[in-house]
Amino acid sequence: MKTNLRIYLAGVKTALASRMAYRGDFLMSMLIMLLVEMAAPLITFLIYENGATFPGWNMYEALLIQGVFLLGKGIAYPFFFGIVWNTIERVREGTFDLLLIKPKSVLFMAIVTAFDSEDLGKLIGGVTLFTLSLKRLPAPGWGEWLQFFLLFAVTLMVLFGYGLIMAGLGIVWIGNFRVYDIFSSITNFGLYPTAIFSKPLQTIITLIIPIAILGSVPATVLLGRPSAGTLGAVGVGLLFLLFSLVFWQWMLKKYTSVGG
Amino acid sequence: MSTQSGIKKQVPYLFSVLKATAFSTYKEWAAYRSQMAVTIFVGPVFFLTQMFIWRAVYATRTTLNGLTLEQMLTYYGIISVIGYLTYDSADWDLQWLIRTGSFLTFMLRPVSHCYYAFAQKIGHRLLALWVELLPIYLIFFFVFKIPLVPAEPGWALLSLTFSFVLVFLTNYCIGLSAFWLTKTEGIRRALLVLLDLCAGMLIPLTFFPTGMQKVLFYLPFQFISYVPTRVFIGHYELAGITLSIPQVVGLQLVAILVMFALYRLLWHLGIKRFTGVGA
Repeated sequence: MKTNLRIYLAGVKTALASRMAYRGDFLMSMLIMLLVEMAAPLITFLIYENGATFPGWNMYEALLIQGVFLLGKGIAYPFFFGIVWNTIERVREGTFDLLLIKPKSVLFMAIVTAFDSEDLGKLIGGVTLFTLSLKRLPAPGWGEWLQFFLLFAVTLMVLFGYGLIMAGLGIVWIGNFRVYDIFSSITNFGLYPTAIFSKPLQTIITLIIPIAILGSVPATVLLGRPSAGTLGAVGVGLLFLLFSLVFWQWMLKKYTSVGG
Repeated sequence: MSTQSGIKKQVPYLFSVLKATAFSTYKEWAAYRSQMAVTIFVGPVFFLTQMFIWRAVYATRTTLNGLTLEQMLTYYGIISVIGYLTYDSADWDLQWLIRTGSFLTFMLRPVSHCYYAFAQKIGHRLLALWVELLPIYLIFFFVFKIPLVPAEPGWALLSLTFSFVLVFLTNYCIGLSAFWLTKTEGIRRALLVLLDLCAGMLIPLTFFPTGMQKVLFYLPFQFISYVPTRVFIGHYELAGITLSIPQVVGLQLVAILVMFALYRLLWHLGIKRFTGVGA
């Protein structure tokens, strides 16, 4: 475990050092990562500023969901979601082989070599939005915080699962960075209160494809009114992680080592 | 007389360059058409989210900022279609050529890089016309029942053409920043976010506070997608200012001329800094 952590930190250090070659661009990119993620909160803010609402939700409750979603992405993207672009790029260039011959698991090496420093901007954005909206809402109790942290751990597991599936697709679907677009479009539903969607869609995003767990489910626990199907969402999230691990291994076996 | 004959020779030559470049780009990208076709999934899914958001917002009202639910959804439908029609990556391509030094080869060619890149865009978008745009249009029309029919087809077509050129020139100017910054990923993203925000891609510009709308009125960004969308709908209004369709399309042409002048200026200043070595 200690060795793995040391290797991971070495990967982080290397990634930061190489990114610092263009410091100005790095800082600008980090800031932009923060701003890009603020699109949905801005839309929400403008909707409420113009006197409209999501029925049953005040602005800060809606923003809290987006804050949780961004917090999850803010942790996932820099620390382990880089596996997606790392795999796609390496498979396309033919350098994925280098990970296969290392004396560590391919998955671990794909994560270690993919620390994405500029995505720390997302984390800053997530923390800021989460804190600001929570400040304007009644303070949650200890029990609610505990439930939130447990659910948020599942959120991160699900995000890891999405990363594995996207990276796995990158092994067979050579050079296709549009998996990010597919991911964004699907998970876009997670940015808004589940209640605004139709009943069948609510079921799909809670109990079939784990999307509500990325924002709405953990946020509603903090608000003291847990979503219907919270336990089911946790179960689906864990199953999704298992499925994504199997999927990754399956795609890895399909790797042909020719570049593209 | 000799100038006239020079132009007569030049026009067919430039047209043949445009045709050949557009055709080769079309063929090149046709190999990656499955990547482009992802849009057929992504576009409607994004739109579905918008539909639910706005249905929830309109649940307790019939109009918001003068727009009904149907008009709001039409706005987003048109915005999407315009986005697919005018998209280009001239900024990324150019900064990559400058950063790697590959731009040098274009200095030796008998055609300006800007013209070449524009021809590439035409080829790329011609492919997108049937791989992305047509399926999306049909999905919007028949599945979501969004009436994507322009109020005045002639003006809408002209406005879309101007938007096509303006997006290219704007992106090309962003790409030219690589002459100064070498790696431009940050500034590229910054400007693209600003564009999305100020061009009305995220939300109609009339949702911004009045003061902000006044600022946006004098910025060129609205001509990229807000204006063509309004021309498509047949009614233009921003910051309390109402303009006729010919007036606003005329202003769009002025924006193109301003952006072209900016491109020439940036080119003139930037090319002096190019070393051809890469970084």
